[in-house]
Amino acid sequence: MMRSSALSLAMGYVALGLAALVLFAAPLWYAWQVTIQEGRAEYLQIDAQRLTEVYRHEGADALKSFIDTRVGMQIAGERILLLTDASLHPLAGNLRAWPAAVPATPGNYKVNLGLGDRGIQEALVHVTNLGQYNLLVGRDNALFRPLQTRFWYGLAAAVAVLCIAGLFVGIITRRALMTRVHSIRQTVSAIIHGDLKHRLPTHVNDDELNTLSRTINGMLDQIELLVHGVRNVSNSIAHDLRTPLAELRSRLEELSLIRPSTEQTYTEIDGAVADVDRVIRIFDALLRLAEIDAGMRRSGFVSLDVSDLAANAVEFYEPAAELKHIDLTFRSSGSLRVSGDPVLLAQALSNLIDNALKYAPQPGSIEVAVQRSAGGAEISVSDHGPGIDEAEKNKVVQRFYRGDASRGTPGVGLGLSLVQAVAKLHGSSLELKDNGPGLRAVLTLTIDESGVSPRETAPPEPAAAAVAPSTLALP
Amino acid sequence: MKILLVEDNERVSQFVIKGLQEAGHTADHAATGRDGMFLAASEPYDVIIMDRMLPGDIDGLAIIEVLRKAGKRTPILILSALSEVDDRIRGLRSGGDDYLTKPFAFGELLARIDALHRRAEGVNHEAPLTVGDLHMDPLTRKVTRGNRPITLQPREFKLLEYLMRHADQVVTRTMLLENVWDYHFDPQTNVVDVHISKLRQKIDAEFERPLLRTVRNAGYTVTASE
Repeated sequence: MMRSSALSLAMGYVALGLAALVLFAAPLWYAWQVTIQEGRAEYLQIDAQRLTEVYRHEGADALKSFIDTRVGMQIAGERILLLTDASLHPLAGNLRAWPAAVPATPGNYKVNLGLGDRGIQEALVHVTNLGQYNLLVGRDNALFRPLQTRFWYGLAAAVAVLCIAGLFVGIITRRALMTRVHSIRQTVSAIIHGDLKHRLPTHVNDDELNTLSRTINGMLDQIELLVHGVRNVSNSIAHDLRTPLAELRSRLEELSLIRPSTEQTYTEIDGAVADVDRVIRIFDALLRLAEIDAGMRRSGFVSLDVSDLAANAVEFYEPAAELKHIDLTFRSSGSLRVSGDPVLLAQALSNLIDNALKYAPQPGSIEVAVQRSAGGAEISVSDHGPGIDEAEKNKVVQRFYRGDASRGTPGVGLGLSLVQAVAKLHGSSLELKDNGPGLRAVLTLTIDESGVSPRETAPPEPAAAAVAPSTLALP
Repeated sequence: MKILLVEDNERVSQFVIKGLQEAGHTADHAATGRDGMFLAASEPYDVIIMDRMLPGDIDGLAIIEVLRKAGKRTPILILSALSEVDDRIRGLRSGGDDYLTKPFAFGELLARIDALHRRAEGVNHEAPLTVGDLHMDPLTRKVTRGNRPITLQPREFKLLEYLMRHADQVVTRTMLLENVWDYHFDPQTNVVDVHISKLRQKIDAEFERPLLRTVRNAGYTVTASE
């Protein structure tokens, strides 16, 4: 049997109970004994004194008849009386002979006596000298003996009850605990063997074990979510990498099979390099996503002006938009500082603009705006393209998901998931709103008040700055 | 140029050494950190290409730190399979001058080596730049071709300035992204190409001889030669 914490706890309580019992009983016993001894000695002394009075006033014969009367009257055995002459020859009383163990000198003694046909254990006797006579008075302790015995029995019973109850409670607790531990163990071993769906059993009442189980279940939920995510991603990776790799393989195989002209071989090789580049790009995007998800990039956080960041991104995409006859405009309510990773935020914003450029109708318009909102610094990219269906909004931020609208457009389906991951790293999330028609993608970042100079803490000039668009369109 | 490559992968080494030699450079190869450290310390190189992860006890960054402490100022390009931004920063902080992630296009490597070498030769940021009949004065920010003034947006000016400082060299898209826009990521569409074609409109359109040329599978170059 394994060591049980419940059992040893119960044992501990039993030991404590016994100690308390002893601490209570010992002084009681001592006080009782002392009181009885003293009371009895005093009683004997009074008895002896009364007999001495009789002897002094009425003489030895009167004492003898007095003793005989008392012995005859009394209930057998309770009182011990003996009067002897100087040579310890019995003259009166209920003892047949002077007990050998008692000297004929005055004092109190404890002896074993034979009274009639029965023996008396540890009788207390008092000896007095009356002229040439010796007087012995004593009392049988039998009266108190049952009381003592009952006391000891009671004490023993209390100990026994305490031990048995302790053991019983210990075993019951242990069994209950073992049942729960066992069920936890079974669940955990099922989880160890790979089935993450199991959860620890919990009860309605909130005891320690239950609280622990709940916490562990929370942990398991998180682990399952992560594992599920990893599994999803690896499936997607397998799928999305397999396609370009398959193309690459068939391209190379065909090349070695057909052995075309040199010029065509070069073209095919260029195509193969492009295929490899596509694979590398997917890898890079995934690695960066993994890196962001792991939350490792917080080291890159600095205080930066999102308005600047957005202006640069808009400027960067301006020529590309112009080429597509899309009017890319930028609107800002002034400098807004946030704490963030400049590389990742720039990439997220660039992904959003790139996305908008892909779906905005040509000719059309896209507006990038930075403004202070209730939630913080709000960066939005709005287009008037097809937008995203309500049902699809959750899916588009998933890795490798590509909506129907994106079929036939370049991209690997990681753009919005990267934006989402970057937003999450910055304690925000990507909101995809309806722009009626079109899509309005919004990122809200916490404003870094500490990094703001006093001049900038003043609320942005209302209408003037917010409405007048500072368009960066190139001539 | 005399170049040292410290790289343990045999295939990559062969490919890089061969490519460097074809580009007209002298290239030495060290396969271990120990050999690399010895060569780098004893021979005068123009540029060192250092793999970050080397077999054995000495890692690439440690070698760079030792060289820098010993007072060697040779430009060093770090090659690494680690693409995380933090690794990049750590690499540059240890004394590396540029950082290139594996796998890489050889053109990218060559272009970066050229840029490093040029930078090490010392640049006068105020001296006027001239390529053929294209002139740029970084101080007055005036650009002329022939005798005709050319008006450029600030970013276009920065782009042209970078290209002209690396005249006759290939400059890759990634180099432009990093140095002109400070973007350390790969935008999904070829936005850089659009910027280049806009710039080309301004400096080359009305002239017989184009100066800003596209180098296939590599990037761009500004050159006056044929």
